[in-house]
Amino acid sequence: MSQIDPENHRDFFAQFLDDYYAESDEHLTLVRRGLLLLENQLNEPGVPRTLLDELFRSFHTLKGISGMVGLVEAEQLSHHMESYLRLLQLGEVPLSSEGVEVLIAGTTMLEKVIAARRNDESIPRINEVLTRLEAFETASPLVERSVDDQVVQTAGTVEAKDDQSRQWRFVFTPSVALSEEGTNVNKVRSRLLEVGEILRSTPMVEKQGEISFEFVVATTAGASIFDTWALGNLSYAPLAEEVRTSEYPTALAATPETTEPSKASLPASATAMLASAGVVRVDLERLDDLMRMIGDLVSSRSRLEENLKNARLRMPTDDWRRLQETSSAMARQLHNLREGVIRVRLVQIGEIFERMRFVVRDLARESSKQVRLEISGEETEIDKFLVERMMDPLLHLVRNAVSHGVETPDERRAQNKPPAGLLSLSARTSGESILIEIADDGRGIDVDRVKGDAVAKGLIAAHALFDSEALLEILCAPGFSTRLKADRESGRGVGMDVVAKAVTELGGRLSLSTTPNQGTSFLIELPLTLAIAEALIATVGGQRFAIPQSAVREVIEVQPATVKVLENNEIISYRDSVLPLVRLARLFDLGEKRDGPFHVFVIGSGQNALGIAVDRIVGQREIVVRGIGDPLVQVPGIAGATELGDEQVVLILDVGGVRRLAEA
Amino acid sequence: MLESTETNSEPFILLELAGTTYGVRSRFVQQMEMIEKITSVPNAAPSVEGVVLARGQVIPAVNLRVRFGFERIPFDLRSRLVVIKNGKRTIGLIVDTAREFINLSLGAIEPPPDAIRGLSGKYLEGIATIDGRIILVLNLDEVIELDTQINEDGAGVIA
Repeated sequence: MSQIDPENHRDFFAQFLDDYYAESDEHLTLVRRGLLLLENQLNEPGVPRTLLDELFRSFHTLKGISGMVGLVEAEQLSHHMESYLRLLQLGEVPLSSEGVEVLIAGTTMLEKVIAARRNDESIPRINEVLTRLEAFETASPLVERSVDDQVVQTAGTVEAKDDQSRQWRFVFTPSVALSEEGTNVNKVRSRLLEVGEILRSTPMVEKQGEISFEFVVATTAGASIFDTWALGNLSYAPLAEEVRTSEYPTALAATPETTEPSKASLPASATAMLASAGVVRVDLERLDDLMRMIGDLVSSRSRLEENLKNARLRMPTDDWRRLQETSSAMARQLHNLREGVIRVRLVQIGEIFERMRFVVRDLARESSKQVRLEISGEETEIDKFLVERMMDPLLHLVRNAVSHGVETPDERRAQNKPPAGLLSLSARTSGESILIEIADDGRGIDVDRVKGDAVAKGLIAAHALFDSEALLEILCAPGFSTRLKADRESGRGVGMDVVAKAVTELGGRLSLSTTPNQGTSFLIELPLTLAIAEALIATVGGQRFAIPQSAVREVIEVQPATVKVLENNEIISYRDSVLPLVRLARLFDLGEKRDGPFHVFVIGSGQNALGIAVDRIVGQREIVVRGIGDPLVQVPGIAGATELGDEQVVLILDVGGVRRLAEA
Repeated sequence: MLESTETNSEPFILLELAGTTYGVRSRFVQQMEMIEKITSVPNAAPSVEGVVLARGQVIPAVNLRVRFGFERIPFDLRSRLVVIKNGKRTIGLIVDTAREFINLSLGAIEPPPDAIRGLSGKYLEGIATIDGRIILVLNLDEVIELDTQINEDGAGVIA
């Protein structure tokens, strides 16, 4: 296999890693949910067996897939947690709050290890957590007897499995050619799982930089079975006896990954649901491709519409009308097609809400506060792309709410509030938007102090009107923190400025309301879709620009005579107040229009209102938003590009960027 | 003269720029087009004429004359946009013309002499002489690199 192109090989392995991250994410989500349920069960008599089974299965899978990508730390952590869960399953040790605690610590570390690998950072040290985990396992070492017990309990039949099964060593070397035929590591792995149990899987790097995978499998099947598989590049041999006493206990024989007929009666687990045949895991990039193709179709149809308009006078009316009807029908169908693809991209937001439970629990414990987390609208569907980008901002807002918003139980009692603070996460759709709200019933933001700090830092004038929009702007100013000393929560990760940036980059809005001693609520409003937007089309110096409709409050026509010049600034009167003007022609160094009325579109409100002057607004239409990917043409003030049916690129304004350019 | 054989030669596309012939490996060239409908991008580097639509993708159009420190001339019917794909980036290069296609023996490419390292030498991978004709082989990595705008008067415009 030395003809493998090293570049393709790297891509191949990267793809394989992506699958690993996706699968480990799914299992970590299950584990987090399971552990919180387990914690709630602590004071109840009897731990539900199905819960332990599911956790066990998730850790078992995490161990296996981590081994396949050679992430030893993740493999070890999962292995130890799996072993402890096995003891709990067998009832050999009782469930204790310390035990749940150590499982949570282990899972948190596991997440960090996987995230570190994903971000190419150094893997955190796991020794301390491992030692804690080991302390729980050594209470009662695994004994061979327990295997039979397990078989009896889950399957109802006693089968002397170990007597008949043999261990085999399989080596599979993937290649691009094989992968194109559909033979890849995952396929090999699932084939092996069909006949037995994978005790160990390890990636090996060979001399020419090729990667192969070694699987040690316990199975009752013989070589005659493997022979029929015809999976290229798969070799196997019986394993020598001494390897049996590997560090991985063979007592794991009766796991859900064995698929003997008698095991089919296992309760359907969440894990099984994730892997069920009716669900396809699709690479987001492929959906993006589809979206792009639909975008092209939308562009072609606008071209058709344009041509139809031009042909109107030169065609018999009946013919023209029929064509026009067909074109309209196509527009509707395209709309439906787009909706269909968008639906495929949607995931439930509950997944990230669930993660917050974990965060809230840890933070509350560290800060000796009590927090009750209420989640609603978790079934609200949101674009997968948005979910990934909303994770950090949400995390920050939740941390802020717990560390700065919610008071200590004593403080709360003094205010006649219940000792436990309420943090609510909710999501809902409203028209073309998704609304995500993070609200607490804590002390509220000290508006006077924020204003004082902002005035002291010269960010605003002392007499400036300070409404909630201005407050938010100050909080989101880069580097502004209401705490003199950044504490642990706000000092790491992202700040409010990053939250605001993430939201605006996604075409959304962030707003805030706060009441002293009643709490603070942040509202994130995101567009349901990203690819297509309503826009105003403006001309400046002969060049067209698209302005996202959502950013524009109003369009006004201005007579040059009404513009007043104040030092270097131009202003016009607007709604009993004044509106500063920014001329796009000057900002972008385009030819300036000399005389006659011009159009101004207003962005922001109150103190933040700004008028952006263009030559004319020439229309309003649906545009396909295309990214500008190359750094050579990523410039401030431009968010992307579109095309309006004549093959000419039209730039899309980044309204926030234009404001920053103007203020710079 | 070295004989070029199947195995050690590679097809190149020849570009003309200010009277000089440059060569680009044709495997990097996605397509060649007439110059039309460039949208200028505010505050971009001087060599960036703007953006164009190529196969549904919005890509930068770089004026190679300006990039290499030559005088800017108006586009005409011979001007070409050569769309190259190098790694993950796709970029259009505007050249005076591009019409020829040759197989170049890799052995015929020699490193650029020190004497031309200064000006556009940085953008060169090597020089080949075929039948007395000099072909400068472009180093595309350098040509599209942001930090190497040594010849542009607006160097440093891009943050």
